[in-house]
Amino acid sequence: MATPVIMPRQGQSVESCIITKWNVKKGDKVKIGDVLFTYETDKATFDEEAKVEGTVLDIFFEEGDDVPCLTNVCVIGNEGESTAEFDPRNKDAAASEKSASEEKSVSAPVETKEVPAETPAPAAPVSSGDRIKISPRARNLAERTGVDIRFATPTGPEGRIIERDIIALRESGPVVTPAAMSEYMASGISPMTSGTGLGGRITTADVEAGISATAVAASQFAPAQKPEAEFAEVKLTNIRKVIAKAMHNSLSTMAQLTLNTSFDATEILEFRKKIKETKDRMGLENITLNDIILFAVSRTILNHKDLNAHFLDDKMLVFNNVHLGIAVDTERGLMVPTLFYANLKSLNEISREAKALAESCQKGTISPDLLKGGTFTVTNLGALGIESFTPVINPPQTAILGVNTVVQRVREVNGEYVYYPAMGLSLTFDHRAVDGAPAARFLRDLKTNLENFSALLAK
Amino acid sequence: MTYDLIVIGGGPAGYLGAERAGHAGLKTLLIEKRFIGGVCLNEGCIPSKALLYSAKIYDNARYGEKYGITVQNAVLDHEKVIERKNKVVKTLVGGVKAQLKRNNVTVVEGFGEIAGRNSEGYEVKVGNDTYTAKRLLIATGSMPIIPPIPGVREGIEKGFVLTNREILDLKTVPASLVIVGGGVIGLEMASYFNSAGSKVTIIEMLDHIAGNTDREISNILMKNYQKKGIEFKLNAKVVEVKEGSVIYESNGEKFSAEADKVLMSIGRRPVVEGIGLENIGVEIEKGHIKVDERGKTNVPEVYAAGDVNGYSMLAHTAYREAEVCVNNMIGKKDIMRYNAIPSVIYTNPEVACVGETEETAKQKGIDYEVANISMRYSGRYVAENEGGDGICKVLVDKRYRKLIGAHMIGNYASEIIYGAGIMIETEMRVEDIKEIVFPHPTVCEIIREAIFEL
Repeated sequence: MATPVIMPRQGQSVESCIITKWNVKKGDKVKIGDVLFTYETDKATFDEEAKVEGTVLDIFFEEGDDVPCLTNVCVIGNEGESTAEFDPRNKDAAASEKSASEEKSVSAPVETKEVPAETPAPAAPVSSGDRIKISPRARNLAERTGVDIRFATPTGPEGRIIERDIIALRESGPVVTPAAMSEYMASGISPMTSGTGLGGRITTADVEAGISATAVAASQFAPAQKPEAEFAEVKLTNIRKVIAKAMHNSLSTMAQLTLNTSFDATEILEFRKKIKETKDRMGLENITLNDIILFAVSRTILNHKDLNAHFLDDKMLVFNNVHLGIAVDTERGLMVPTLFYANLKSLNEISREAKALAESCQKGTISPDLLKGGTFTVTNLGALGIESFTPVINPPQTAILGVNTVVQRVREVNGEYVYYPAMGLSLTFDHRAVDGAPAARFLRDLKTNLENFSALLAK
Repeated sequence: MTYDLIVIGGGPAGYLGAERAGHAGLKTLLIEKRFIGGVCLNEGCIPSKALLYSAKIYDNARYGEKYGITVQNAVLDHEKVIERKNKVVKTLVGGVKAQLKRNNVTVVEGFGEIAGRNSEGYEVKVGNDTYTAKRLLIATGSMPIIPPIPGVREGIEKGFVLTNREILDLKTVPASLVIVGGGVIGLEMASYFNSAGSKVTIIEMLDHIAGNTDREISNILMKNYQKKGIEFKLNAKVVEVKEGSVIYESNGEKFSAEADKVLMSIGRRPVVEGIGLENIGVEIEKGHIKVDERGKTNVPEVYAAGDVNGYSMLAHTAYREAEVCVNNMIGKKDIMRYNAIPSVIYTNPEVACVGETEETAKQKGIDYEVANISMRYSGRYVAENEGGDGICKVLVDKRYRKLIGAHMIGNYASEIIYGAGIMIETEMRVEDIKEIVFPHPTVCEIIREAIFEL
């Protein structure tokens, strides 16, 4: 049976993806696991693997095409089979997604009857997240049995997945071990058809391998180079386009200005040293200076709510929780994942989560849903030796904190000059939303909290 | 005539692989140079279990007072024990042969050597006959390591230095027995001959016995043995073997241990020489055949399973490896996993382990949690083990809250451990295991008890 391959939906907010590279041509034979094409969202790149074996019968889109999610991209099947019904450009066919899923629900039972010994090929996975229509009973069963509901063929009313679909999926589809399930669903890796565990179960090791494989695949994507030419024409990646648009929009629409200050970092440097010595014994993360700043910001900014806000021209959304954007430098460009509810998390939790977010950005496995929703952003160029800068606000946020390097400064104590380590802070804020004095007051409070960090921790 | 598969070696990997292949319809030939069943069935796992069971009955009779039983004149008749052992082996070898026949496997007795390739596949020579097959499964197993210690080779020739092979056929119980190497084989033989009346001394180079077994458990086992009168010389190196004594060095000093017989059980090495691997270019790495997770060697359609691939010298590993090989031959996707392979020492008390130990978990950087409880949490254990000091240890991966290791010392452990193996293999979490019903009263309930400690 010919099987259409759809453009997967990577996260709820993604409407379309761009095909960046085709690895197969029409007529090629593919095996399960072969990479069909590479595509990118505006945040990351992914590989789409063949879920079934066969011949590539037709390809509906070219490299560079922007394809709506869940649209048929190509068809795999046996030579000679018709593909017209799957062609999204074919106006005679009904809406492509619909026809594809109907096709499957009709033919799946027939297939199992004809060749009962053979496992039916799992249906192409559908979008992740809450968009899947599924009955509570079916969801409950799916959670208990460890099947990936994205592979379920819905047979309930209005395309709803019901209990029997999960039962069918348990026989044919991938099963995830209980321990691997939550990370499998949460990590944003592409759905797997089988794993290396007992009876093909997807294990924690598979999920870990999947995460790093996605990262490798993503990093392999590099702009074309023409070394012989005087200059290289580099097509902008989607990520670069997004950054360009956002940054220009930020500077052209806001009234941004930056306040610079510095604080005595003696206490946090000592605290960090102590953590380094005891972290193994205490089971703590490797807490960095940046983690300490994230923590301090999360505990300070709620007293300066205008800075923890979105400015929307005629109104402001002032948030009661702190969702910290963290600027991460990746090979593909700047990414800003969000650490949600930072104000409710411990320093250790913040440290762990910040590390995990940065890592999945580096690997390119970050879920697009984690790249939005920030209420305030922290960016750190301290590691690169920067002493002060003007960070650019991530709209519609009202401010961003730049963290600088530590330098030795001198001050007078009892008539003597003493050295102390000073760390710079650069706060850019939108003067449309906040005035200079309140912004300065936030910086002053943040400085006090950082200089008396143990007292802050005790709060 | 061309076979679909030639299996070289008739031990657990070889005979089971041949059975499975035959069952799947492959035309299969099995070549065995010595006895069908291999070391496991003839000179290892099975015969030693027969001996140990006899010893257990004898010990129960002798030491039954604490349970209210007094037996007079209990005698261990070593000759009869060996006779019965031979009967057990014969029965089981007969069973394996019947299974092979039922699965249409042709068996050739003789030494198989890979001669090369031809257009049909691979040629294997047995004496003057040449057989050809499209595929090979190399299952030549392992042999005892004989260290170049002065006197050992002569001792073997004269018959007072033994390996696992000879010791199982001793006609009489030696008055004193020195066992070189405190691994599984050494410990099991120590257990039997101690019960049978030998003065047993174990000389071990490391500072602990039982290899990679959880250290706390191997210490408990050693204490149990010491109570029975077995002597341990740890951190000790044998420097010479003479007729009647073994000279060993410890802390720079030389000592002598009285020895009517000496058992060499320092380890085993894969059999990769003399079987013609070089004729088809099979890659050997650190003395074993290199295979991938499907059991494939670097040569197309040539597979290797069991001790010869160097992963884990256990019969049950070999079984599964052979199945993985055969499944891949017949086009069924299958891979070998080594994370939940149980290991058992059939001493009294028994030791059984599966998965990570604290030592390996630390090495791998796994963030784990451990529950360590006395076997006396189990009612049946208390009822049946007067003065028993067994423990059960479970390790849980903190990140996923899944079971990653289980270790126990106490009787029935050998029969319980597979349950923990399943939990590890299926990556059950602590909360999943808590929902499992265990029969009461049993010793296996100890797993449940340990899990609820977490």
